[in-house]
Amino acid sequence: MFVINCPYCGEREQSEFKAGGEAHIIRPKQPTELSDDQWAEYLFMRKNIKGIQFERWVHTHGCRKWFNVVRDTSNDVIKAVYKMGEKPPTK
Amino acid sequence: MLNYINAITEEKSYSGLQMKEFKPVMKLIIRGKKREFLSAIGKSLNLLLPTESNTSSRSDKLTALWLSPDEWMIYSNETINSESNEYGTENLLNKNISKTNLGAVTDITDQFVLINLKGDKIYDLFETGSPFNFNDFRNKEGSVAQTILAKIDIIIHNQNPNEVNLFVRRSFSQHLFSWMNDSASRL
Repeated sequence: MFVINCPYCGEREQSEFKAGGEAHIIRPKQPTELSDDQWAEYLFMRKNIKGIQFERWVHTHGCRKWFNVVRDTSNDVIKAVYKMGEKPPTK
Repeated sequence: MLNYINAITEEKSYSGLQMKEFKPVMKLIIRGKKREFLSAIGKSLNLLLPTESNTSSRSDKLTALWLSPDEWMIYSNETINSESNEYGTENLLNKNISKTNLGAVTDITDQFVLINLKGDKIYDLFETGSPFNFNDFRNKEGSVAQTILAKIDIIIHNQNPNEVNLFVRRSFSQHLFSWMNDSASRL
């Protein structure tokens, strides 16, 4: 269990949130031109890194807003939180 | 407010804690992002919507709670006529907000139940079933929080150090109230 700093509501406990998977996946511009393998790659294949991972989270039991989180999956330390549409921190 | 069979029928009292349903109270959810939306609400209701997170604002008749950057709950400070389902405030907002496409107005009077809690043991009760840190909340009058109590979504509004208004969905209200009674009896 850990605390997430919601960019809208402030610090809240993890149980108020839901994880929404990997962030910054771009939908292909022309899905009809892709092969099944390429489409499956976009649709299903996700990184599962031990270390720094960029994720989407939603504050389900609070403001119900989506945002991005940079989390170290090995120890659940949250390195950064930023709103949807903002650029991910480089460091 | 229509005549429903109410889930919460009694007023409960413990040492340092009193709980009762406060009804009927008009409740509305309003949503909008534009600056014109905020000013239209201000002009229509004579009430400035709070833009700072976890805060509220109040006029003679109405209270506005911040729920999210583009969502607020408005409720009447006093009880309303229980025979009617027509609210002047809602009609006014429908005219000035919905019909001009500035935002959305939803009547949630019958969806949410307002439980009024009084006493110095309110936070002792909350702490038995919520992951929320109440330290800042309890010291700031008018603060608002959406969180979980006994795994149920609630909205709480700090009235004064010994009084809190709690909103819960009607379908959960009976269970939450009975849970709170159980919990309060062991404080």
